Amino acid sequence: MAETKTAAYICKGCEIGTRLDTAALVKTATKSGKMNLVREHDFLCSADGVAMIQNDIDNEGVTHAALCACSRRAKTEAFNFPTIAMSRGNLREGVIWIRPDTEEARETTQEMAEDYVRMACAEVKAMTVPPGNQKTGSVKTLLVVGGGMSGMTSALEASKAGYKVVLVEKTGALGGWAGKLYRRVPTREPFKAPEDNGVADMVARIEADSNIKVYLNATVAKTDGAPGRFKVEIAVESGNVAQEDIGAIIQATGFSLYDANKLPEFGYGKTPNVVDQAGLEALAKAAAAEGKPICRPSDGQPVKSVVFVQCAGQRDASGTHLQYCSGFCCNTSIKQAMYFKDSNPDIDTAVLFTDLRTPGNGEDFYRAAQNKGVIFSKGVVSQVLPNGNGCTVKFKDLILNEDTQAEVDLVVLATGVVPNSGVNIDAAAAPAAAEAPAEGEAPKEVVASVPVESILNLTYRQGPDMPQFKHGFNDSHFICFPYETRRTGIYAAGPVRRPMDILQAQEDATGAAMKAIQAMENAGLGRAAHPRAGDLSFPTVRLEGCTQCKRCTVECPFGAIDEDEKRFPLFNESRCRRCGTCMGACPVRVISFENYSVNTVGSQIKAVDVPDEFSEKPRILILACENDAYPALDMAGMNRNEYDPFVRVIPVRCLGSVNTIWITDALNGGYDGVMLMGCKHGDEYQCHFVKGSELGRYRLSKVGDTLKGMNLETERVHDVEVAITDIATLPQKINDYAALIKSFPPSPFKGF
Amino acid sequence: MSDLNQEMADRYKNNFLKEIEEQAEMGEWVKMCMQCGLCSGSCPTNFHSGWDHPPQEIFMLIRAGKREEVLNSQGMYMCTSCYNCYVRCPRKVPVTHVMHGIAEYAYRIGRAPKAQPTMHLSKTFWTNATKTGRVNEVQLTQSLYFKEGIGAGIKKAMEMQSEALGLVKAGRLNPMEALGMGHKCKDIKGIHAMLAKAEELEARNKAAKGKE
Amino acid sequence: MTSVVATNQTILVVGGGISGMTAALEAAETGKQVVLVEKNPYLGGRTVQLYRYFPKMCHPTCGLEINLRRLKANPRIQVLTLAEVTGITGTKGAYSVSVKLKPRYVNSNCTACGECGKAVSTEIDDEFNYNLGKIKAAYLPSNMAYPQRYVIDPSIIGTPDADKAKAACKYDAVNLDDQEETINLSAGAIVWATGWKPYDAEKIVYYGYDRFPNVITNVEFERLADPHGPTGGKILRPSDGKEAKNIAFIQCAGSRDENHLRHCSRFCCMGSLKQTHYVQEKYGDEGKSTIYFIDIRAIDRFEDFYQKVKANPNVTFVKSKVARITEDKAGNPVCNGVNTEGYIRYANAHDLVVLALGMEPAVKGVNIPAEVMSDSSGFLMADPANAGIFGAGCATNALDVNRAVQSATAAALRAIQVVNKVARAEA
Repeated sequence: MAETKTAAYICKGCEIGTRLDTAALVKTATKSGKMNLVREHDFLCSADGVAMIQNDIDNEGVTHAALCACSRRAKTEAFNFPTIAMSRGNLREGVIWIRPDTEEARETTQEMAEDYVRMACAEVKAMTVPPGNQKTGSVKTLLVVGGGMSGMTSALEASKAGYKVVLVEKTGALGGWAGKLYRRVPTREPFKAPEDNGVADMVARIEADSNIKVYLNATVAKTDGAPGRFKVEIAVESGNVAQEDIGAIIQATGFSLYDANKLPEFGYGKTPNVVDQAGLEALAKAAAAEGKPICRPSDGQPVKSVVFVQCAGQRDASGTHLQYCSGFCCNTSIKQAMYFKDSNPDIDTAVLFTDLRTPGNGEDFYRAAQNKGVIFSKGVVSQVLPNGNGCTVKFKDLILNEDTQAEVDLVVLATGVVPNSGVNIDAAAAPAAAEAPAEGEAPKEVVASVPVESILNLTYRQGPDMPQFKHGFNDSHFICFPYETRRTGIYAAGPVRRPMDILQAQEDATGAAMKAIQAMENAGLGRAAHPRAGDLSFPTVRLEGCTQCKRCTVECPFGAIDEDEKRFPLFNESRCRRCGTCMGACPVRVISFENYSVNTVGSQIKAVDVPDEFSEKPRILILACENDAYPALDMAGMNRNEYDPFVRVIPVRCLGSVNTIWITDALNGGYDGVMLMGCKHGDEYQCHFVKGSELGRYRLSKVGDTLKGMNLETERVHDVEVAITDIATLPQKINDYAALIKSFPPSPFKGF
Repeated sequence: MSDLNQEMADRYKNNFLKEIEEQAEMGEWVKMCMQCGLCSGSCPTNFHSGWDHPPQEIFMLIRAGKREEVLNSQGMYMCTSCYNCYVRCPRKVPVTHVMHGIAEYAYRIGRAPKAQPTMHLSKTFWTNATKTGRVNEVQLTQSLYFKEGIGAGIKKAMEMQSEALGLVKAGRLNPMEALGMGHKCKDIKGIHAMLAKAEELEARNKAAKGKE
Repeated sequence: MTSVVATNQTILVVGGGISGMTAALEAAETGKQVVLVEKNPYLGGRTVQLYRYFPKMCHPTCGLEINLRRLKANPRIQVLTLAEVTGITGTKGAYSVSVKLKPRYVNSNCTACGECGKAVSTEIDDEFNYNLGKIKAAYLPSNMAYPQRYVIDPSIIGTPDADKAKAACKYDAVNLDDQEETINLSAGAIVWATGWKPYDAEKIVYYGYDRFPNVITNVEFERLADPHGPTGGKILRPSDGKEAKNIAFIQCAGSRDENHLRHCSRFCCMGSLKQTHYVQEKYGDEGKSTIYFIDIRAIDRFEDFYQKVKANPNVTFVKSKVARITEDKAGNPVCNGVNTEGYIRYANAHDLVVLALGMEPAVKGVNIPAEVMSDSSGFLMADPANAGIFGAGCATNALDVNRAVQSATAAALRAIQVVNKVARAEA
């Protein structure tokens, strides 16, 4: 590696030059910052300024540069020097824009700027340019688990993009739930009649596709490794095990229907003339095969009247059945009602619903069914009673506001879906966790799930399957980033992720294939996956210092860290999202990234000039989440929302990456207070690393003891939940906190 | 109850929706309603106590097979043909026409109430207008005013005196119509022939429907 | 002349809202070259005009920040703002696209220091806030605007105000001679992600949007609730600036209606349920919301959200499509109609009525300058006839943000399939 040469650049544009004494800043960078080269420029982001820096890199051998100008979020196109280590001193949004342009403010504003220059210099010196890990695997074969509509779609779409696919299906045939359908809900204009289920066509395309290797009657027995280098063992019917090298995984294991036996009030199990939606499909298929009308199971006579009961065991607020809506069942009942109406318009078909949910073009399908004579009634069914070869359906008609009943030949219950999501690893880990101090989590909902075996059989330390989200689905909580699961390179697709119909599942499966392909491509290049996409850094650990406390392996939100045979942490780089939670968790501080480490932040903390206790200039350290809190502070600057001049802000990748040593170092160094700014955690978490802010907060909640041990007020460490929109309120919170700190005596640690 | 009423009830048994679809004009639209209530809310007469069941509810009653409740209802006679419901209906159901269709069917099978005021208006209007092909407004008004007897008629006429004079002054009302004069259609014979033909066609249609 | 590097292995993404950004980023992060074309002077589309997202009640700018950081870090995406695609010729794997670029009058020297904004005195309608307020004619569209660069409104070009803006800029960033230009570029595949627009409320005559100032739209309500909106986050009604505490939400304003939009717009039920939270947030128990609905379509786990709102005693649900809105003497909009659950007539006065407008495609299929298939609402359909042009997000259907992103991710793969094929052929 080339010799290190450091440089600092002080911009004078955007009034930095008039509001601040930049000559003094140059001195600061030279003397305190100890930079080899320090330059001022009137307009650093101009072509001329950029050329100056590039020239220093090319001809002066600059390897580390501290750009003291605007925020790291601004002018990124201009300040694009990928070959060197670079830090930004935020003199504009972080200093002059949040301070008044007054004579009395001048001194503290200048001190603020000088500190930011020192911090930028200290930070960049502690950084190196990450070279990227080339050791990660470069396998580009996709594993798709589940051969239903979603899985087949993922396989075909990935193949179409030129990738090899291994498709594992538990049963003896591809097609899944869709294969059991007589017809499917229409997918095209004019959305008026059921369509062919489309399975045969897809199966034929898969069989003809040389990129796709299909295992039927097979399950995943073991998944070892990481994106780009998974080793997967596939158990096949013969009892043999096949080995496959895999780059990324899509779990498209679909759903099971909610067990209608749990609904005795609706007569299921008491008479064969009450069926669930799958039962009706079977009847329709059998009838079509024999060229007969759909007959009632009790006596084989053609059905003359049928009632569809929507939301059977769904949308149940009492907690007995499914709480959610399965989304597709209204359209399915409409389709099934058409089976009857299309064969014989005289068959009475009624759909009893509370809210009919046919979004998008489903509205056309709904209208088409009405036009065919399907009757829709807003009503709540209380009971279905067997009555000879028919059923009595008791319900409340909500429009006519009366209790009434209907005598019909057949009743179809729309029971909804339960995801085939594998083992709930959080629940499985719960007994162990219960002994440990509670993490303040709400008690988990009792999910009416089917008893399950593991689907992926991951060898991960954190458990054999993907973590589950609400109601047992393998979803994420991100609105903007629906595919971001907590297992890098493993994506859920179709109704195992979220209740959805076939059309949506196919769209979802195509998107999941996109993400899986991307994960394979990036794993091979050592690039991080979302949200720090492209980041080439990865955590390294000084094993000689490791005490095997396992905090990193337990806490990693993405299950990236296993334990090796000697019980040391084993990092799997391509599973890592670079949030730094492991680094924050490590009590002996042996984990670091090239461009983000205990030292890059710690040296900034130490670089700040802490005035003595008589100066009446307290120092408050702010560790701000770079995703939300730091942009909010930036925008506070853009809006000229002023805040206290005694704070020093350091962006962190996530609250989860905050190591308590930073706090104790700051307090020992004479800082008067520490403010931590992170995203909302809990059920409605907004942390982009899912668990980062929660884990960080849990860890930091213990700092109180440290403070007591130091004889300091516990309020000196203050945790603030911040959203990116707190542009006006965050400065206020800072000022309030600063006022509180000023009400305390100065830290007794100043000057040590 | 008329025989026709019983005949229809027997023929359609429990399927009143089918009865309406086949027998009432535009009855096939009843199934298209999605119970949003826009028609009922749009109706300018819905404040009237005579509105026991608004359109959307009549449609629901029909679908629920409540034959007696519908045929006993005043709802369908209350329509003033303002067409608010029709133009607003998100399902493009011709609510106005359906209501008239049901009313007409009820009348046809002898289920219309005897002194139903809007039905009286319709009949009076029809007789009046078909006589000459043009409405004789004065005579029409008279026959409506004096429906309840001479005293009530005079009282009502006095109440409306100033309005009437205003209309006369504006040339919108011809007092001579009281004497059977005033504007008429040019070819009265032709009109009558046309109406006769229309009646014949309608009778044939209905006879056919009755036999289906 | 704006220069763009593009080949038959380039993916062109039309529309820089959340769908377009997603498609562009997913493709670029897979190593593809992308050109992203956006009509507005900034990226983010309609999502950034929302105050919060359902069901998490989180802020759209939070995801935008991540997406912008992905974008800034990715050298493979070229962004063209104030740009519209005017023509597409050629075939799958070899398209030629003409793009019209409107002048911004501000070049990349801009540091967003804001001096030009201070210098200019003319005010124009604030489109970002649905014209509910005014802004200076030299402006940064929003706090999160990217590119972080000012815009000078064409209306002041040639006036002394424009000269003032130029004079105020110390960085030679104002270029008043900027001209409209049309450039041509190559692309192997095209992702069409032009998004949606709210249905024109004036067309629903009986709701009187054009007659009653206190009848507003759901998108406008987002701006009123946003602390960075025209009222500073106070829910004030337009007629008299009074705090609006009793608010009606009318569902299916335009949607599920053969006279307006045939389809169900999917997001508006959840949108209104979300907006009742705004009322609660601002006014606590003094804030009352009434939702007039036909069916509440809170699909999958959104049902939880619905149940929570339903349990809030300050929110009333009325199963009814409001028949018409009138105004009382105090200027309160009055909702007239019939609760169909038991036939109960009502005439309810509210402080403010919010129309839950449905979605229609911002660019209807017939207006896309290429041979593509669209459905009866003008949404782009998936069809082999579309060749190398793939719809994404709300250009294809009425979708919520989550589903739009999902759709855009799928579209990115479809585009990659095409350019990968080109690459294999050229290799």
